[in-house]
Amino acid sequence: MATVVAMVAVLVLYPMYYLFQAALDVGLPDTRPPTAYGVANFAKLLDYPTVLWNTLVVTCAATLLALLFGFISAWILTRTNVPFRRTLDQLMTVPYYVTPLLGALAWSLLGAPESGFINQVWRKFFGTEALIDITSPMGIAWVMALFEGSVAYVMISAVMQSMDPALEEASAVMGGSRWRTMWRITLPLVAPGVLGAAIFVFAEMLGSFSVALVLGTPARFYVITTAIYHFVSQYPPRIALAAAMGASLFAVMFAMLWLYRWLTSRNSFVTVSGKAFRPRVMDMGPLRWVLFAVVALYVLASAALPVATLLFAALQKLAVAFPAASNFTLDHFRQAFSINAVRTAMLNSIMLAMVTATIGVIMTGLLSWIILRSRLPGRGVLEYLAMFPQAVPRIVFAFGMMWAWLVFPLPVYGTFWVLLIAYLTVFMPLGVRTISGVVLQLDKSLDECGQVCGASWWYRMRTITAPLLRPGLLAAWLLIFVASVRELGASILLMGPDSKVMTPAIVEAWFSSSSELTAAMALIQTVVITATMVVFGLFTRRLAQRAVSAP
Amino acid sequence: MTTTMSNPAPAIEVENLCIRYGGVTAVENVSFIAAGGEQLTLLGPSGCGKTSTLRAVAGLETPTSGAIRIGGQTVYDNRAGVNVRTEQRGMSMVFQSYAIWPHMTVFENVAYGLRVRKHGGAALADKVRHALDLVKMGQYAGRNASALSGGQQQRVALARAVAFSPSVILFDEPLSNLDAKLRSEMRIELRELQRRLGVTSLYVTHDLEEALAMSDRVVVMRAGAVEQSGTPAEIYDLPRTAFVADFVGSANLVSGDVVASDADRGTVAIRTKDGLVVHGVTHGRRVEQAGTISIRTVHLSLAAERPAGEVNVWPVQIMRSVFLGDVMQVHVLWGAQELVIRRIGAPLNIGGEAAFLHAPPERCALLEASG
Amino acid sequence: MLEPTTRRRVLKGGLAMAAMPVAGALLSDRLAAQGRPVTKVHDFNTAADIAKAEAEGEFTFYSHDSEPAIAGILDAFNKDFPKIKGKYVRAQNSTLFTRTIAERSANKFGADVIQFSEPATALDFQKRGGYSRYVSPQSEFYAPEHLSNPVGDYFWVGVTFVGLAYNTEKVKPEDAPKEWKDILKPVWANGANVKMSNSGMQFVQWYELRKLYGDKFWGEFAKLKPRGFDSRAQQFERLAKGDERICVLAEYAGYLLVKDKGAPVEFVAPADGLPASPLLCGVADRGSSPEAARLFIDWQMSPRGQNHQQTNPYLYYGSVRKDAPPMPGGKRLADYKLLSPTKEMDAFVASRDAFNKEWNAMLGL
Repeated sequence: MATVVAMVAVLVLYPMYYLFQAALDVGLPDTRPPTAYGVANFAKLLDYPTVLWNTLVVTCAATLLALLFGFISAWILTRTNVPFRRTLDQLMTVPYYVTPLLGALAWSLLGAPESGFINQVWRKFFGTEALIDITSPMGIAWVMALFEGSVAYVMISAVMQSMDPALEEASAVMGGSRWRTMWRITLPLVAPGVLGAAIFVFAEMLGSFSVALVLGTPARFYVITTAIYHFVSQYPPRIALAAAMGASLFAVMFAMLWLYRWLTSRNSFVTVSGKAFRPRVMDMGPLRWVLFAVVALYVLASAALPVATLLFAALQKLAVAFPAASNFTLDHFRQAFSINAVRTAMLNSIMLAMVTATIGVIMTGLLSWIILRSRLPGRGVLEYLAMFPQAVPRIVFAFGMMWAWLVFPLPVYGTFWVLLIAYLTVFMPLGVRTISGVVLQLDKSLDECGQVCGASWWYRMRTITAPLLRPGLLAAWLLIFVASVRELGASILLMGPDSKVMTPAIVEAWFSSSSELTAAMALIQTVVITATMVVFGLFTRRLAQRAVSAP
Repeated sequence: MTTTMSNPAPAIEVENLCIRYGGVTAVENVSFIAAGGEQLTLLGPSGCGKTSTLRAVAGLETPTSGAIRIGGQTVYDNRAGVNVRTEQRGMSMVFQSYAIWPHMTVFENVAYGLRVRKHGGAALADKVRHALDLVKMGQYAGRNASALSGGQQQRVALARAVAFSPSVILFDEPLSNLDAKLRSEMRIELRELQRRLGVTSLYVTHDLEEALAMSDRVVVMRAGAVEQSGTPAEIYDLPRTAFVADFVGSANLVSGDVVASDADRGTVAIRTKDGLVVHGVTHGRRVEQAGTISIRTVHLSLAAERPAGEVNVWPVQIMRSVFLGDVMQVHVLWGAQELVIRRIGAPLNIGGEAAFLHAPPERCALLEASG
Repeated sequence: MLEPTTRRRVLKGGLAMAAMPVAGALLSDRLAAQGRPVTKVHDFNTAADIAKAEAEGEFTFYSHDSEPAIAGILDAFNKDFPKIKGKYVRAQNSTLFTRTIAERSANKFGADVIQFSEPATALDFQKRGGYSRYVSPQSEFYAPEHLSNPVGDYFWVGVTFVGLAYNTEKVKPEDAPKEWKDILKPVWANGANVKMSNSGMQFVQWYELRKLYGDKFWGEFAKLKPRGFDSRAQQFERLAKGDERICVLAEYAGYLLVKDKGAPVEFVAPADGLPASPLLCGVADRGSSPEAARLFIDWQMSPRGQNHQQTNPYLYYGSVRKDAPPMPGGKRLADYKLLSPTKEMDAFVASRDAFNKEWNAMLGL
């Protein structure tokens, strides 16, 4: 237990220290360690009111939109008799795997004011104006919300599923209409859960980078993260300012997390327990097909359409809306396979992601267990600690990790080890969040009983806790695996000459080659990830079957 | 189980146990001893600290101070710095939620404690079968645990708790999730099992009948402290405080100034505000200027005519009577106070609303002062 | 250090050719002082110890260039020297600088050869003692202004230069900008793209056109709300698809890249000159494979390396080597009138902050 705590503290606090050191660095530029300290960098933030305002507008709009997507889909899928419920439920998580980066690339191809496919088609038939402008602030918020909506859905539907349906039935019995029940009973009861989702989604949006970069830059629209990106990449690099911006975001998110705790501790809704109920399903009559269309449309816009768009683009020399035989090519795929990065780095990425996911699941599993189940003093602090890496934009946090692991006594820097360490750090919040949800649903006495029976901690872990948590652990494994393969911000800075991974190469292609090649590489990566997940799924299923059939 | 028989079951001693969560005191200076082979019940309303005490004995809760000894061995003592881990205390426990592991079969659930103790092969299978037979679940061994009904899960939990022949078993409201009929059946079976195995058991419940029916001794707890301890009969007949009197069974409490007392014979008499005199017994309790006397509802009798030559006879007015099945509950106005009487038999046929109430003085117990 | 008299003569002579004998003479002195035997390998001279370099077996190249570009260079080198494997770390220019500085402050010297895309960065790195001085025998084929001062820290491995480009479907040839000042026409409002302030090339253009047209030039241009991008590939892709109508910082290399795909894009070389910016490559100090690094520098400076720089589609950089062959398309670098602040490096580098400020403000940051 002490090992895990120490590990978490080192992984998180060590880079944090260097990050704050940089934020307070007012000495000679690009000199480490800093020669003077001060708060001047934070004062400079006020020189960028537009950036701060843009960030606020986009983040708020995107959060609201994502919550709307999440809440409506969650309500439809947990509370109504919408057709194909199970399939839709599974499809709702696909956007998470598509990722905002690919989504932004695809939507940029679809909705750019001049060259966007949708606008090309619109112009051809209906006139000269563009139909949509995906590079506008609302367009950016739309794309961000599409991909974060999936996360909001998962969080909100979990809350809805854990709500005792009797509470809603009581309203119905007393003559409350379906809508009245939803607005007066369901909504207030799930409010803390929705608030939790809201704060989490807001934090993600605040730190999100790729959508604002891909879509905002053409429109001269900058948010804090893209501003940070430009400040670290211009010469001379303004690392201190970037670090100060990152640290400020950290403060904002920390405040929000605290606020959330405060709000939820004040009015506790004990009715929303960790226990699983069979939710009552409302018969919506023919309206259920409308609800089906609503959810299907969301899945279409956030998963099917982006992937189809990328494929359509990758098969053209220069992607346009109206395909022509002369424009058709397989060159981008051929080229993608000929790039070193795709061949060797892909394998590296997969291997590294598997190791990260395996260690990450064990580490965050133990961590969640300690936070929720142990009687360790200060475990509340540990919970905040585990959320730190989420609160600082990756692009800044990566610098903190670089400085930290550079001076670390063991020679990890420049090797796969440093990437592994970085991934374990940045995906800690993801793992803890996923596994905590499952741990919470597990009756405490199942473990205590093993304890009373005389089983040691490891024995119980092996025979009781881990098997019971298996579905949750598998889900966490997959999430961390995919997130690792898709990792960009930390990898770019920490890759060594002998430790190259795939995703930076994809973004690289976007910068140095073309959208079409990028689309091809992204699709190849998606196919490889999917294949790995399928193999993993089959493998674990067989393992599970063997475990069941064993006496 | 033979091993248990040959070794006398150990006693559980709890001494000055205190448990605090932050600023809240859950258990305050609780002490009791469950002798070897005895079933001791912690009885009290929810939140009285009984479950915390039980969990402290199990080692699932770390107390703030005090000492716990099992069979003379200290398992917890804050001054000596001893805190033996749960898994090394060698006890067994039945949980309120049963805690049946849903990913194992019934057999594996029951075998768990044996496997932990490195049992295996035919001996293990034997013991498991024996334990399952004990709770009449033998034919369910191969079932998946998640496919059992509540009552069956409860039995499996019980089998699991006894399978590895523990000498101490803790019960945390094991019957509270069962329906009334099953509960009264299981109550008897559990008591039988406990006697047969000769184990020491600590039992937690908020159900009075359960406590009275199953225990050798009962400890009544209130707000984290022990209110009274004794045999079920003592608790029932001689409640020490108004709380116990009220909680343990329906009792009428009457208060007034002490007008007479005889320390040798152990009698006392009080006069209420309404001027009614009640004679009672002190059971050695200290007599002060004022006192409260508890009279059980079943010890009161009603008659249309004044019984001759008796003390503790008062005229009352009948307010209403309620049919409760086995008994009839009658509410009467006694002075300005309402008293409740439970009696067996046909509904009263009293002409008017006036009647005479009688209580044998030896059934009128003086409560301890300043309860 | 060039002596003042010599330096004046160089400036006076203007043309690189005129300066050649003087520089050559100085170089031979320096070469001799280095005490390294010069050997010929393939068709170029090197002062590196080839046997040692091959024993080192590998070296690490830190570069700002794109992944396929770096990989291409290292593959080409590996073909000539199969026993030496090149590895690389790539990052955008400033990030590469920050990373390298941080590594060096932690006593880690991962880079054997390092290449920056901006003279200011290379000069800063030089000031911090980041280079290991090595005077290549190839230096004699380079004018002194294309070499570091003092010689041996870095050299101009290539030059990227910019003109104008326009989308032929959106802009008629007669309406297309011909001169730099044409970009100020209101018609290009919301229709022009440039690079972000992180681009060294953009910095040169800003500096040179300000020199030609005055300090207000870019202020006027800012009113048209130009859009800034990170790379030429993005700029030209957008131009090709009509997202913007003109590209104001049109790298010839980027133009060739989309032209190959049949994009409706035309390149214009304004008569008043093409701003040009160097890419600077040198041996890093305290690397673990110094001989391989030196050999790589010699190869880069040689006709072989320079040919690769000019013809690889991921590079298409012009060579400043005096005997460089024509670039793809038939023109030599010398055929263009290039605008580069070679002779006033100090003033140029000093104006970096002013540029950042003006450029960021122009792009809405």
